[in-house]
Amino acid sequence: MRLSDRVTGSFVATLGALATYGGSQLPPVPGQDVGPSVFPMVIGVGLILCGLMIAFGIGHSFEDEAEADLAAVQGPSQEAQPSEPLSYRLRALLPPILLLFYVYAADRIGFVPVAAVMIFISALAFSAKLRVALPLALLAPIVIHLIFYKLLRVPLPPGLLPMPW
Amino acid sequence: MNELVEAFRLVLAPDVMIAILLSSIYGLVIGSLPGLSATMATALLVPVTFYLSPIAAVASIIAASAMAIFSGDIPGCLLRIPGTPASAAYTDEAYAMTRNGQAEVALGAGLWFSALGGVAGTISLVVMAPMLAELALNFSTYEYFWLAFLGLMCATLVARSSPVKAIASMLLGLLVACIGMENPGGVPRFTFGVAELLGGIEPIPALVGVFAVSEVIRAIVSPEPPPLPSRRFGSILAGQLALTRKYWRQMTRGNVVGIIIGVLPGAGADMAAWVSYAMSKRFSKEPKKFGTGHPEGLVEAGASNNASLASGWVPALLFGIPGDTITAIAIGVLYMKGLNPGPTLFTERASSMYALYIIFILANIIMIPLGIVMIRAASSILRAPRATIMPVILVCCAVGAFATGNNLFAIILVAAFGVIGYVMENNGFPVAAMVLGIVMGTMVEQSFVTSLIKSDGSLLPFFERPVSAVLATMTIAALLWPAFIWSWKRLRPRPQEQAL
Amino acid sequence: MTSFTRRGFIASASTVLASSIVGVKPGFSQSNYPSRPITLICPWGAGGGTDATARIIAQVMEQKVGQPVNVVNRTGGNGVVGHTAISTAAPDGYTIGLLTVEIAMMHWQGLTDLTPKSYTPLSLMNVDAPAIQVKADSPYKNIKELADAIKAAPPGKLKASGTGQGGIWHLALVGWLQSLGLQPNHVAWVPSNGAAPGMQDLAAGGIDIVPCSLPEARPMIDAGRAKSLAILAPERNPQFPNVPTLDEQMGPHKSVGVWRGIAGPKGLPADVQDKLVAVLKEVYDSKEYKDFMSSRGFGTQWAERAAYGQFMDESDRQMGEAMKAAGLAKA
Repeated sequence: MRLSDRVTGSFVATLGALATYGGSQLPPVPGQDVGPSVFPMVIGVGLILCGLMIAFGIGHSFEDEAEADLAAVQGPSQEAQPSEPLSYRLRALLPPILLLFYVYAADRIGFVPVAAVMIFISALAFSAKLRVALPLALLAPIVIHLIFYKLLRVPLPPGLLPMPW
Repeated sequence: MNELVEAFRLVLAPDVMIAILLSSIYGLVIGSLPGLSATMATALLVPVTFYLSPIAAVASIIAASAMAIFSGDIPGCLLRIPGTPASAAYTDEAYAMTRNGQAEVALGAGLWFSALGGVAGTISLVVMAPMLAELALNFSTYEYFWLAFLGLMCATLVARSSPVKAIASMLLGLLVACIGMENPGGVPRFTFGVAELLGGIEPIPALVGVFAVSEVIRAIVSPEPPPLPSRRFGSILAGQLALTRKYWRQMTRGNVVGIIIGVLPGAGADMAAWVSYAMSKRFSKEPKKFGTGHPEGLVEAGASNNASLASGWVPALLFGIPGDTITAIAIGVLYMKGLNPGPTLFTERASSMYALYIIFILANIIMIPLGIVMIRAASSILRAPRATIMPVILVCCAVGAFATGNNLFAIILVAAFGVIGYVMENNGFPVAAMVLGIVMGTMVEQSFVTSLIKSDGSLLPFFERPVSAVLATMTIAALLWPAFIWSWKRLRPRPQEQAL
Repeated sequence: MTSFTRRGFIASASTVLASSIVGVKPGFSQSNYPSRPITLICPWGAGGGTDATARIIAQVMEQKVGQPVNVVNRTGGNGVVGHTAISTAAPDGYTIGLLTVEIAMMHWQGLTDLTPKSYTPLSLMNVDAPAIQVKADSPYKNIKELADAIKAAPPGKLKASGTGQGGIWHLALVGWLQSLGLQPNHVAWVPSNGAAPGMQDLAAGGIDIVPCSLPEARPMIDAGRAKSLAILAPERNPQFPNVPTLDEQMGPHKSVGVWRGIAGPKGLPADVQDKLVAVLKEVYDSKEYKDFMSSRGFGTQWAERAAYGQFMDESDRQMGEAMKAAGLAKA
């Protein structure tokens, strides 16, 4: 998701404006001249300034220069992606969705099944073959559970499939 | 003298030796897992230390934290996923070295200079503890404000991108640090009624999100990169003596900076690594090479963060004031084991103190062989197919974030920061600068507001006190530097063009 | 012989059958509880004082009940998350938690709906009173001199620190100032990240007064950097016999202090309560617990069930008054 500096700059500036506004709404604290509102407002103003500078392309030359330096050492950058179809790019949402799935389901069906589903789906998304993805999804959660639950005493939810340890 | 003999007897007890060995391995493994930090390695050890003898308990914490800080470099170097906030400063550098086929040099530098730094920090602890403690006590909130501000300015120095975007990223981090009620006013800020946000956003879930999860996202939408040329992993320590000779100045500077930052309560290994890396770049003869796989900064930052770890124990042992998050936990364990911090620990329980020194040295020595084994084992990740590594990393992120407070909300944060980090990185906003902002935010605001309350609203003490005057000058210089460079560059090319 | 065994078997089998039909009736569960590990939720992170207290309680409990007692640190939301987890756990006695004084404070600020009444109180385990610390070389020799100096100084001249704005030690100071007939902000409060940084700033000369508990102040007192003028409690702390009480010097004063106690979610069955309180009493009386608490300088105080509930209500009322006075409570 490569956006123009104009877009990101405006976004940063808007966020700054929101922070300034949000900060100004905070109540003062008795006994403090500099209340909780000052710091967010200072940051907000800073963000507005930075956002505007980015939107107007100030300082962009540094980026090109830095990339040129990097390219000189490492060869041309691999970031130059051909325009992929939307369905391909939408896969970017898969990792966060799987994490939210964990949050939703871990207490209900337990750590091992949830982790297995996460690993299986993401391995397939990385175009792993079924004979790799399946054993990985079955074994890795058990190993992780063993390390975290037994050694580190992290209370992972047992759910439907409690481990024997 | 008797006390020294007694100290050796205490350390050489079988249970202590086993505790050091096992917790070293434990620290190496935890630190190297993406999403698990040195602080967490220490926190997860607390229940175990409950069943150990006092010396074994403290030994296990010392060993585990030293190992974890080093091994946090491993995933940073191999996968571009820093294991601890301390290694976030130079992750790009180390990863660039891996892409250049110099993974063993980068990791070896991390290991070798970490171990040397740890020893240097210990020596400072032995020789100068009372002096350093005095220094720490004379640091008031005015000095902390400048120190924190200076730390923030490192963001622009470290990043290989537009300084404006680096500052914007850092400000975003500061904005994140505003969330919660851990502010001087004690009022909930930007929590939107979510109880989980009252305590603010911890750096760890943010770090895991912007580095690990965004790396997984980046991998999932890009074609499998060409495999690194298959070759034997070279010797890990071979090049290090040459590096030591070449960069001994940088190493010494890193040690000194690390010791000073470590001894100041509240500023720990994370900040030491940042400041040292930035300093290294600033004073380097070849600053252009930084970020392209150049070991100079790694030497200085590695030397710095482990040195700070040892000196962080000075205020902890003398006054019960934590130097960083690790010693904050360690103090709890000291109390639990009847080794109550205070000057009496140095006089009445001198043998225990000597024992701690010996353990520090010992831990930094065995770090080298254990670290080599760990690096060799971990380097197989470079050969493993992406499709097997990335899914496991994703699960580790979830579990690691959960383990920070046994709270599922941390995983939601990880997911959110993963998306934020991916979008930022793609648009040239350095995420490391944002992590720095999150780490330092509370300190900046707290020290500023409390200073103003103490001075009845006057700004004068920020510039009047001798130490704060020096720090203020440095900060303002660092602040104006990018603007100066920029205008200089803007003005320079024109005469050349005219000449053509 | 054989018939006897068979009869015995049938008899015991029928008992099992009967009780399984009747369900978990009190008498049965009492004899069986606890039949699996107990979770003790600690709303604060590993390595702190609350965590240590939870762990020593769990360790001794484990020996007494014969089942593992696992401490789980549920942190986040400044204690709200952990306290919520205790109140929303299933009331079966397998999840209990360590409540801290914050439960009597947070709802006044509108941070949570939870109050001490949201729990089944089991037992109070620890109370620490505030003490007033000044720099070792400060001119005040006793608390009376300090009180006079505070009264003489213009508002905001003297500074105090030791916790965040509206934290427990801030409230203790507010309470004391009020008893002197002064405004709550007569001594300016400098928020800090806990007592240790406050004590550091005291030693560095940045502030004048640190109200905090004696165990928190101990390292600096031992280092000869600070001195404690008075403890705001009815009796002296046996760990610090040289620190006089405020009552001795200036007459009676009721002060807020920190406390920690064990509670379960609301609706804990009476028999489970009986069992837990009996075990906790054993823990409280055990040598391990007493030794541990005295080694850390933590004060111990026992109250069970309704008495503990009353203690919390009283604490809640005091906190509410102090917070309203300091302008910290939400209207």
